[in-house]
This record gives sequence, structure tokens and C-alpha cells, in this order.
Amino acid sequence: MRILKLLGILAGATALLLTPARAANEIVVGFATAASGFMQAYDKPAQDAALIRIDEINKAGGLLGKKIKAVFADTKTDQAEGAKAGLAVLDQGADLVIVSCDYDFGAPAALQAQAAGKVSFFLCAESIKAGIPGVGPFSFSASVLAAVQGATMAEWAYNKKEARNFYRLLDSWTVYNKGICDGFDWMLPRLKDAKLAGSDTFKNDDASIASQITRIKSLPKEPDAIMLCTMMPGAVSAIKQIRAAGIKSMILNGSGVDGSYWLNAVPDLSNFYVPVQGSVYGDDPNPKVNEFNKKYKDVTGGDPSSQYVYPGYVLIDVWAKAVERSKTTEAAGVVAELEKMNNEATLFGPRTFTQGIHHQNQGRYLIVDTEAGKPKVIDQWTISEKIPVDYLVSK
Amino acid sequence: MTAVLQILFDALSLGSIYALGALGIAAIFGVMRLVNFAHGDFIAFCVFAMLWPSIDAAAIVFAGRLPFYLLIPLLLSVGAALSMLSEVIVFRRFRNANPATMMIASFALGFVIRHLLLMLYSSRPKSITLWPNLGLPVEFFGAHIPMLQVVTIIITLAVLAVLVLFLKHTRYGLEMRAAADNFTMARMLGVRANGVILLAFAISGMLAAAIGLILATNSGTADIGMGANVMLIAFIATVIGGLGSVPGAVAAGFLIGAASVVFQATRPHDARVFRDAFVYGAVIVVLLARPQGLFAPKSAKQRV
Amino acid sequence: MSKPPSVIRQTVVTPIVLIAVLLAMAALTYAFGSRAFNRTAIEMFINIMVVVGLYAFVGNSGLLSFGHISFMCLGAYMTAWLAIPPVMKSITLKGLPVWLLHTQLPMWVATPISGVFAALFALIVGRIIMRLSGIAASIATFGLLGVVNNVYSNWDSVTGGQGSIVGIPPTMNVWIGWLGAAVAIVTAYLYSISRSGLALRATRDEAIAASASGVDIVRERLIAFVVSAFIIGLAGALYAHFLSIVNPGSFYLRTTFVSLSMLVVGGMYSLSGAVSGVVVMSVLIELFRNLEKGVSVGGLPIGLPNGVQEIAIGIITIIILIYLPTGLTRNREFSWRGWPLQRRLASPVQTALKEMN
Repeated sequence: MRILKLLGILAGATALLLTPARAANEIVVGFATAASGFMQAYDKPAQDAALIRIDEINKAGGLLGKKIKAVFADTKTDQAEGAKAGLAVLDQGADLVIVSCDYDFGAPAALQAQAAGKVSFFLCAESIKAGIPGVGPFSFSASVLAAVQGATMAEWAYNKKEARNFYRLLDSWTVYNKGICDGFDWMLPRLKDAKLAGSDTFKNDDASIASQITRIKSLPKEPDAIMLCTMMPGAVSAIKQIRAAGIKSMILNGSGVDGSYWLNAVPDLSNFYVPVQGSVYGDDPNPKVNEFNKKYKDVTGGDPSSQYVYPGYVLIDVWAKAVERSKTTEAAGVVAELEKMNNEATLFGPRTFTQGIHHQNQGRYLIVDTEAGKPKVIDQWTISEKIPVDYLVSK
Repeated sequence: MTAVLQILFDALSLGSIYALGALGIAAIFGVMRLVNFAHGDFIAFCVFAMLWPSIDAAAIVFAGRLPFYLLIPLLLSVGAALSMLSEVIVFRRFRNANPATMMIASFALGFVIRHLLLMLYSSRPKSITLWPNLGLPVEFFGAHIPMLQVVTIIITLAVLAVLVLFLKHTRYGLEMRAAADNFTMARMLGVRANGVILLAFAISGMLAAAIGLILATNSGTADIGMGANVMLIAFIATVIGGLGSVPGAVAAGFLIGAASVVFQATRPHDARVFRDAFVYGAVIVVLLARPQGLFAPKSAKQRV
Repeated sequence: MSKPPSVIRQTVVTPIVLIAVLLAMAALTYAFGSRAFNRTAIEMFINIMVVVGLYAFVGNSGLLSFGHISFMCLGAYMTAWLAIPPVMKSITLKGLPVWLLHTQLPMWVATPISGVFAALFALIVGRIIMRLSGIAASIATFGLLGVVNNVYSNWDSVTGGQGSIVGIPPTMNVWIGWLGAAVAIVTAYLYSISRSGLALRATRDEAIAASASGVDIVRERLIAFVVSAFIIGLAGALYAHFLSIVNPGSFYLRTTFVSLSMLVVGGMYSLSGAVSGVVVMSVLIELFRNLEKGVSVGGLPIGLPNGVQEIAIGIITIIILIYLPTGLTRNREFSWRGWPLQRRLASPVQTALKEMN
């Protein structure tokens, strides 16, 4: 037992890392994100984009005359470890704690930041909880709510594609999926003459969705559009099975299926629509986005894999602006400036924060259409009214 | 009529995958009384063997480009090799350990393999295109079933038939059954223990590769968690089917697939998310009614 | 002729030694550890509670249970329902009964209630499942885990579904963690030296003879099931206060297998095994995590590549089990040679006739 005690002390000693002294002319930004485990594939791209923006700011003279320094702590895709990662970056003097792309894995670190009175920002979480309801008044998210994606697709398909019969297929695996369908549910009654032809659920890792497909095929008329509320990896299998069964309806999705890396699995996919904040395919209407894609490739060695790279850039962008305007990194000042932002222009769409919501419940989305396996931006859409916060929180 | 036939086909669709998984687990369980919790990770490993290790989003398929008459034997041998390797390195040391130790060892092995794959390939699913034509449906009496599922069912039944014939009519099969019945006695009678066990592991590994191929073709992606769901159901099916009874495991796999499909098709919308709860509940009920498994002989029932 | 010393006097060294060592660890952590390290220690203490609870059932009955983490889930969520401020509950958990929405209880009250809730649930479910033996029982407990996980992940109005619910006051510290572990150890110890525990161990070693001697197997198993559920329910409650956020995914397969691994690595049939398994594994995990974080040598970080920690732990588990298949403590209990009249708790008997199951 004594050996075990000694081991315990040894482990404790190595845990007391030497904390580097914080230079007075530096602003510290702490990344409490996943560098291992399954969230790593989702956190790293957005993190790289954030680092690109930090680099740009430093080259342009810094923030409030000081250089931004990034520090990191690995959450290892574990909630308990995430809390420790948050503490670790706070101990290194972080004024901003950036946390994982997913609410469940980012919240522990964000809660630590909130308790320490610092601003926390979710890299790309799209749940309403990633902000005031789920963390506290100093917490924000850099992306757009999942519900907006569902509502956007429904309204766009209704207005631009004359879709009237919708089928709702929900993958009950995650809160993100449910969020997309919640937005869809909210929008549908607002569209005159639009009908819900039917509704079904499946689970992401189901080996076969044969019975769900049977239900669709047994409808008297093929639905105009299928609202598919799902994400990787099960999305590919579902889409494959739907098309293989001969169902030709429009498939409307959330942003989670953005990216061309999986299109090989469903050859000649057509009539397939995805909302994105910016295009990774080189055809964004804003030429600066295409420039950013090139810069991203230079820095990281590969093209952006999906639109989830972009919120990382937006995060640093809006936070830095708020710091400049409030002339301080103190949470109260920064939060006040952020909450004043109304349709603040960023490279990837306008951003609005208010005292009631630190997330986007309305957003400009580009619509990407995939025809014969090739994705292309064809349109853009902003939903006509904001989704009410009460509705979102009560779901 | 068509609706019932369709449900039947859907059930066969899903059940065939579970049945093939159950075969892989039952093969080892029958001989060693070991539940191989690493089986799901063997499945994932075989699928990733087709890709070149890289953490980029796009997959770099190298072996996956081979024509099917090369790809299938290659993957089967990869599966068999991995399985036999794990027997020699890990499971051989646990021959006489108690079942809990063996289970935890197999879980640890699976854990290592999964995290190795995670480090090499990252968690983002990679797309693989294999025989996309197999996704097209075949029609029977107005009900349709994807060609791939028909192929899966045929493969499952064929493998089952071959396995049963092998076990009953060949010398190796006889040795395997003897070893399953009473290992020590079989050794005393001249059965080469190591050979029989290696054979069982090789068969299980090949089955893992087969399921991996089928899952990859069906879903078009290679994902680290691929085999996990199938493995869980396969484990349950093996026990419900009757310990050590290979046909029983297959039948139980089909049964669970059928139950899942029937629940999905018949429950009202709000209850459908609880489908898994119903299936697990049904499993408990079956176990209470027949604890030794549905297809085991009555003599296998425990005395206390 | 003097009376032979009671069982307690002979075996009480074990829990005393265990609790004392844990106390020393807690004290050292509190005095010298960073905030993050304190959190690691609390996590270890909660794991000790879980694994000791598992031991109370698995070690005494010989049945491997995959379902016990569902009790942790029940305990954690009950604490969430009781401890989250009513303002937050009313928005997200509308399906809860009104009286529950308006209560907010402190940790000292909510935790035992959560434990009792888990125990009651175990009582009801156990009456059904405990009739099974061997691997059928293990699969049935697996089914239990699946059912609880599925229900908690999808009953959105009551449990918040898959999304985490926040708001549990973060009132945990190392001392409360130690207290929880101590309570778990004492409870498991008292159960195992009780008449019921002894009877259950008899069924573990030789079921037919025990049954023939009049032991009601189902009843004894049920008692063990309920006691272990209580301990694990307490662990779940403290876990909720520790993370201040609960999510059904944390109470499913990964946690189940990690706790079972810690139990088997330590020694499935002994209380000391349960505790040492957790301590050793926790120390190793922390060591490897720090090796991954690396050390800054002249500005250059040197460390293991990320992701190596899990692989290393898996390999070490296998190696430990190869050389010590009965676990680190080899199924014996800790004792102190100086203690008069000391006797070890009985280790399992290797019988000539082994039931093949």
C-alpha cells in the first residue's frame, strides 16, 4: 500500500505543472478542446480557423496593442477531463475560454469559466443550451442554432421549390438532430398549405432502415420533400438506402452532412440540399471566403472538410471586436459589447447577440444543391422571423 | 399481403446482419466459453484495413480498389489473421482463468484496437464505395428488398449450412465439438487443443471480415464504431439462442431483427424511440421463460 | 472456555486500513494538489464507490452484472431532480410532477434519497431478474442497462433526453468524496460479514449444496442487488454534484466496462481488491495523461502523442490480468500483522465439481 501511496504522490507532483508566468503585454486565449478522442475530428478544424484569425490579428498589430497568445488543454472527449482542461487554461491566465464543438463536452469547461467570471465561447455548438440557458450569462456560441437549419430548409423549399408535402425523418441519436427537426416543426405551421405527410424515427447506428423506408413508400403520394434530421456517420447509410429504394423526393438536411468527402458512397446523388454558412467548394459568392479557404489550405495542408471550420474564425472575429470596443478583456465589458451586436457583419454571415440569447436564432444560409454527385451553391436564404427563445428552450 | 411480406423482408434484412454477427460470437463461445468483446473492433479493423491510415476527411482507399475476387479473400485473411494473432498473444494466457477475467481481457483488447484506429484514422467517418449496384432493390410480389440484403441472407444461410456440416461430418468439427463439451477430456483423448481453438478464432475472424464488408457496402462509410451495435446484439443473440448452439445463435439473431422491425413498424410514433427498450425488455422476458436459451436442449437447464 | 472472538473483531482491520489509506490520500491532495488534481481525486473516490458497490454484488454472488451503472444513472438523475433550482427545472423538465419542480434540497438530503430510490428500483427489478443464474443473469442485467439508458435518453420532458441537464450545485470536494468512499466501504463490509452475505458466498462457491442446506438463493441475491444498488446510487448522486451536469451517455457501456475492469484487475472477490483496482488504475491513467501533456524542456514540449494513454491502459490491463488472473490482491483482503486475532475474509473455494455455465 505504501508503494501505491508513493505513486499517488508522484502522480500528484507531475500534475503540478510549472505554470508559465503571464507576460503583461499578452492577452491569453485558452482552448479547452479535444485533441484526442472522437471530438478531435470536429474540434480541430474550427480550432485551426480560430488560430488563423488570431494570427491575422497579431500580424495587424494585436488586440488593444497586445499580442494574443493561445494556450491549450486537452479534454480527451471526456466530461470530467473537460472540467480539468477548463481549469488548466484558466490557471494559465485565460481571458477567454474556448470550448468544444458539442454542448455536452464543452459545458464542463465552460461552467468552470463561468464560475471564474470569464467569457466562454463554444467553437461550433448548435444547441440552444450552448449559451445562457446551459452555462450562464458569460457564455456564447459562435455558430447558428440547429433549429434555424431546419426552419431555413423548410421555408426555402416551400418558397423556391414549391414543396407542399413534407415527410419528417428524425434520427433520435443526438440533441443536434432533434434541434433541426424542432426548427422544422416550428416553421411548418407557418407555411400556408404545407402539410406533414408523415413522420418517423431511426437511430444513427441502425444497420438497416428498411421499415422506415417502407413507411415512406406506402404513402399514397411520394412526398415533395423529406426533412432528414441526421448527422454523420449514419446519415450516409440512410441517404443511400432512401435513394436505393427509388424514392426521388427532395432531401433537405441540416449542416451536419456538409462536405464532399462522403459523396462517393452515394454515387450520382441528386436533389439533395444542405444549408451552409460558407461554401467549402470554392464557389462562395463572397470572394473573401474563397481566399480564406486557400489560406486554410496553406496553413493546415488540406481544404476545409466542411462548413464547421468557419465558426472558429467567426468566434475570434466577434470577440476581438467586442474587446476593441469595450477597451478591456473584463467579462462584463466584453459581454456588454457583444450583446450590442446586431447583424454584425462577419465573413460568414451576420451575427446578432442580445441579452436574451447568446446564439443565432436567425441566420443567412447558403443553399448547396448536389446534382449528379457534385455540390454547388445555388441560393441563399434567411428565415423571415427569428425562432422564439422560449420555444427553443422548452424543447 | 404485401405489407406483411414487406415487414418479413425488412425483418430478414436486419436479422441477417445480426445473425452473421451472432455466428462470429458463437463460434468462439462454443469452444472456449469466452465472449469476445473485441469482435466489434475486429469488424471495424477489417474495414479500415482497406484504407490507408490518414486523419484527413477524405479516405485514401488503397486495398478497396481491388477487384472483388481479390478483395474478399484478402479481407477474410486479414480478419482471420487478426483473430488468430489475438488468440496467440492474448487469449492463450487466459485458458484457465475465470470467465470474468477473460471477458475483461477481451474488452481491453477491443479498447486498444479501437483507440489505435482512432489515432491512425481520426473519428471522422470515411467514405468507401463498394459495389454500389448492390443497393438496388429486388422485387418479390410487390414487396422489395435491397439486393445487398438478399446477398447477406444467402451468405448467412450458406455459412451456417457449411459450419453445421463441418461440425457434424468432419474430423475437425468433431474435435471442436468435443473440445466445447469437455475441454480437458478432449485433450486427454488426443484432440490438439491449440489447433482447434485457433481454427475457431480463424472462423470467427473471417466472419468479422464478412460482416465488415457487408456493413461497409450497406452504409458506404468506414467508422470506428461500426461493429459496436452489431456486436451487442450478437452477444445477446448468442445467449438467447442457447449457449454454444450455433444454429440457435443464428435463429436468435433473426428473431431479434424481426422484433426490432415489428416494433418499429407497428408502434405509434411517440413510442418508436423506445424501440430499443422494448427489444431489451423482450430479451429479459425470453430469458425468464427459458434461461438456457431458446434452442438449447432441456438437459442444459441449470439445476439451481 | 472463553467465547471465540466475533467476526467483526477478526476482520474489521480491512475496512479500517482501506479507509485510513484513502484518508491519507485525501489529505495530501487537499494540502498539495492543484484544483485540477483535486478533481481527479474526487473522480477516483466516486469510482471507488461504484466499484465497491459492484463488488458487493459481483464478489458475493459470483454473477457478473452489466447493469449496475443504470443505478448510477438513476441516482444521478434523482439528485438532479431534487437539487436543481426550481427556476431552471421549470423550463427544461416540464414533465416532472409539480411538487418536484418546486423543491430544492441540499446535497446532504438529496444524496441519501437518491441512493434509496436506486435501491427501491433494484428491489422491484431484482425480484424478476434474480431468479436467473450464470450468464443468463448477466445478459438480463445487460438488458436492464439497455432499457434504462434508452428510456432516460428519450423521455425528454422528464430527463431532458440525451442532452445534458445542468444546474446541480457543484458542492463536491475531496473530503466529501472520501466520506462517500468510506460509507461505501463500510456498507459493503457490513453486508459481506452479515449472515446474508455469508449465505450468498456459499451459493457462489457451491450453489447446489447451499440450496440443499436451506439457503434461499433468490432472496440472498436480491438483498445483495439492493445493497449494491444503494451504494451505486449514492455514487451517482455525488457524481452529479461533482460534474454539475448529467447526461445518460455517461452511464452506459464505457463506464460499465471501465468499472468492471477496475474490479477484475483489483480482485473480483475481495473488498480490498475493489479499492486497490480503482486506486492503481486511476494512478496509472493520471500518470499517462501527464506524460501526454508532456514537459516543457527549454521551450519544446516533449510528451507522448495524444491518444496513447488509452492504448497504454488497455495493454497494461491485459498484462496485469495475464500475470495475476485473480487480480492484484489475489482475492485476499488487507490485514495488519500486528492486529490480534486477525483472520482474513474467506476467499472463494476451488471446487472439484464446477458448474459449466
